[in-house]
This record gives sequence, C-alpha cells and structure tokens, in this order.
Amino acid sequence: MNASRENPPTASHREAIRALYDAYFETLDDGRLEEWPEFFADECRYRIITRENYEAAQGLCIMQADSKGMLTDRVRAILKTQVYAPRYYRRFYSGLRVLGGTGKEWEVRQNVLIVQTLIDKPSEILGCGVGRDRVVSNASGELKFVDRTLVFDTEMIRNSLIYPA
Amino acid sequence: MNRIAKTWPAAGVSEIPYWVYTDPEVYAAELERIWYGDHWIYAGLEAELPQVGSYRTTTLGERQVIVVRSAPDQISVLENRCRHRGVRICQLRSGKLDGITCPYHQWSYALDGALQGVPFRRGIKGKGGMARDFSPSDYGLLRLKVEVVNGVIWASFSDKTPPFRDYLGEKLWSSYERIVDGRRLRIVGYSRQSIPANWKLVIENIRDPYHGALLHVFLPTFGLFRPDQASELRMDETGRHGSLMSLPARDSGGGHEDVTRDLAVDASLQLADKRLIEAVKELKGVETLGSCSVFPSVIVLQQINALQVRHIVPKGPGGCELIWTHFGFEKDDEEMRRRRIRHGNLFGPAGLVSVDDSEVFAMAQRGYETAEDGGATVVRMGTGGRENRDEGHMATESAIRGLYQYYREVMGL
Repeated sequence: MNASRENPPTASHREAIRALYDAYFETLDDGRLEEWPEFFADECRYRIITRENYEAAQGLCIMQADSKGMLTDRVRAILKTQVYAPRYYRRFYSGLRVLGGTGKEWEVRQNVLIVQTLIDKPSEILGCGVGRDRVVSNASGELKFVDRTLVFDTEMIRNSLIYPA
Repeated sequence: MNRIAKTWPAAGVSEIPYWVYTDPEVYAAELERIWYGDHWIYAGLEAELPQVGSYRTTTLGERQVIVVRSAPDQISVLENRCRHRGVRICQLRSGKLDGITCPYHQWSYALDGALQGVPFRRGIKGKGGMARDFSPSDYGLLRLKVEVVNGVIWASFSDKTPPFRDYLGEKLWSSYERIVDGRRLRIVGYSRQSIPANWKLVIENIRDPYHGALLHVFLPTFGLFRPDQASELRMDETGRHGSLMSLPARDSGGGHEDVTRDLAVDASLQLADKRLIEAVKELKGVETLGSCSVFPSVIVLQQINALQVRHIVPKGPGGCELIWTHFGFEKDDEEMRRRRIRHGNLFGPAGLVSVDDSEVFAMAQRGYETAEDGGATVVRMGTGGRENRDEGHMATESAIRGLYQYYREVMGL
C-alpha cells in the first residue's frame, strides 16, 4: 500500500469514510446491485480472495475485477445470466479503522461477516473476512474505492457465492 | 463383496435410478469399489512440492493422505493416520517436514512412511516397553501406489491398478496431455466449495454437452460457446473417462435461427470490459474448450486461458466438495498470470459460468431425495453409449450412458 501512515486522518475524514461504508453495505444489502460499481473509481481493483491464496501470494480470487467495467459485467451476469436459488445476503462490518493516508487517499480495514438466507432455509453464516481497502477522494470530492480486497477466512464456501461484499 | 440389493431399471443406462444419488449402501459400495478400488485418484500437482519435505494434505475418497516429496525424485502418498492409536498426524494443509511425528506419543516416521522411532520402546529403567515381537517395519504409515504423469500426482489404494496411461486409454491421452503437456506448472491458486449434491453429478455434468449453452446463458450471450460449434466427445473403451472438446464457432449453414431458437440469449448484452474473456492461444490445436475427466476424482479443464483441476471429494450420498486448483506454466509472464486470474472469474464458487452448475446440482439432489421408489432420470438424447465415440455435435447424452455402463459393471448393478 502506498498511503503513508504519517498523515493521520482527521475526525471528519473518519466520519466521511464511515459514511461511505454504511452506504456501500446498505446498497448491497438492499440488492441495488446496479449502483454497486458507482462506489468505485474508474481505475480500480476488486477482489474477494481466500486467506490461503492471499497469504501464499497466489492471485486466484473467488471474485475479481480489474476495472469498473468488470464490476458492471459481474452485475450483468448476476442479474441476467447466472442461475441460482433465490437468497438474501446481509453484511455486518465492525472494527473499521482508517490506518493512515495522504489527505486524498486512505487505507482502511474492517471485519466483515456475511449472513446468507436462502428463502426456504434458516439463516446461516456464509463467511467472514477482513477488508483491506484503499479509498480516494476524487476531483469532485467524492470518496471512491480504488482497491477493495476482502480477504476471506472462509475457504470452504457453502456451494456458491453469488453477490459481492 | 456383498451384492447391493437394488435392481437397475429395465431401460438400462438410458435411465439412471434416483437411488444411485441417495442410497447410503450404494455410497458405501462406491467408496470400496471405486474410490478405494482399482482406480487412480488425483493427489495433487508436482509443482506444489518444490523441495524434499514439502507436503500437502488432501482427501482421496473420504480418506486423508499426506502427499510429500520424500526424495528429490520421489513422491510418497501416505495415509494421514498414525499406526499406533489412529491419530490424524498432520493438521495443516501444507508445509515442510523433516519427518512425520505423531503429537500423541511421538511415534516418528520417515518421509516415505517407514516407522523410525517409538519412544520408550525398551521401557523405562528396564520396566515396560514395547512387546518383544514388535517389528517397526510392520508399522509404517499406509503407503499408496503413486505415479506422477506430466506433473500430476496420481495415487491408488489398490496395488492392482494398471499403469496410468493404460488406465486412461489412448483415446483420452491426447485430451490429457493437450493441457498438461509436460511443461513445468505453476500454481495460480485454489478455491473450494461444499456442494449439497452427490459426487457423480459433477462428472456427469462435464460429459453433458447438451446443457452447455442452455444452462450457461453467459456462454452464448458473450460469444464463448454456441450450440452449433463443432464439438468432440470422447470416451475410453470402458466409458468411465470422458472428454469434451469444442472448436471455434463455424458457419454451419442451416440458418442461425435453428441454433438460437431455444436459447435465452439477450443479443443486446455486451461486456463492458472484454478482457474478462479475451484469450491468447497457448495450447495445441484450435479448441476453445478442452476437458479431460479422469474417473472418478477429477476433471482437468482448459477454457480460454484458465487451466484447472477440479478435484471431487465425496462426502456421503448427498454431498461432495469440489476443490479447484488453477495453474499456469512456470514460464508465464506477469500479463499471462493476470489473465489467468481474470479468467478465473468464470469458475469456482462465484464462477460466472460454474455457479450455474453447482446450483443446479443442489436442485437436482433435492429432486432425487424426495423421489418415489423406482423413479429414474431420463438420459435419451442422442444414441448409444460408450461404443458411440467421437460424436461431432452437442445434442447428445451418450457419454452419461457410457459412464453408467462402466458404473454398473464395477458396482455389480
């Protein structure tokens, strides 16, 4: 990560970053997938990667995008082409920490728990992990993800991971 | 071996009885006759074990083994169970060992499984100790038969399993060595999913070209696969192994409508970033997809620049795990490595294509588990079974019938 830890974020930076994550997870939990790519800069990276691959520096991801366009492609596939049993995800984040930054760009980490509810089954934990992200403030002052990397402790997935987190 | 008290439908292999997917007695017999019988089971890739002492644990059938480079030119596959009190010795998925020592009473084994040390074997101050007739050479870890073929490690619980290439058959060898051609491999990563469905659904699926463009809307929508592409379906003489190759879409005449009429394709959909599926040619031939399904444990598959082994681990009649090892070649440059990772989006538990399969497996299992006695799936597309080789089209289920011709023989059904 490039962000220097010598520029601690101010309280208002922290508040703005927390608001970004609140809106991000609310959008996903509500199933407004078309809006999801808008949280990202045009040049961005998105990854859900198992801890096993992450720690071994093996790049294979469960879900991955090299650009905002690929996030859009993922959304199209989820909505138009993939076949799966109906379900809801709810994402719980905690321990959000802004690790440092430059005043324009910040490193952020947070824990994430995903609870899956198949419509005819009790709710169950789908997985948990830690987000290791980079967020930037763009030309219009909006916060966007340039890197969202969710390192997933859960290496054995209950059949499928349909939606992003 | 006891006969299984089940009667196969009179229609033969064009009907697959639901009980092959649900019955615990049938499942127990599969473990014994198939997984622990005269078959080669996938144990890993040589690239995973770079140095003497490098090991991985993996599961063959339901039994866990340690796969370890025991000498520069030797790989040993050992059951991960101490011969003393039956304790699972290695707990990690991978690492490096000097020897193999059980945590309970410190029995220690060499990397090839030979028992080397039994603490207090001669007793303490002359008292106690191991029985006098105890011979350490009788108490090594269970060693499986091993063969390494073009970088892939195969193991068998049976000494009678024929050499791998004979086991696979010449017909399938070219499908196998098209993907693992002997070049040194490099691991791109793993993914794992626990599928609530019988293991046989996974191998039937890859031998079923009929579902390709129908279930996987992504493929025809984004131009990766059309039902009128020339394809080649191969089986070995026994019917147990299968291979599906598909060639680039051709202008087959006969009109486009006939091809797409039955498909749920929205022609207006385009990819925003075509790098998701843009491939460069790297293997022999013009095939866009090539798979080699080595019964019972594995599918080796290439699609675009994703190269992978799909390793099946049965977990009772109603479940299995699918472990994906994506690999490339040692000489891949950074751009190729990134391309393989991108193409990995199509596969695994969030696969843009493969999610359709694992979800449908679960839906199928739910259908079977509530089925009436005597019910069966219908497998009547195309003609013939294992004798019917090299069909050049996709409207067929002959390779599923071929698979069950072999299955009935090995299972005595």
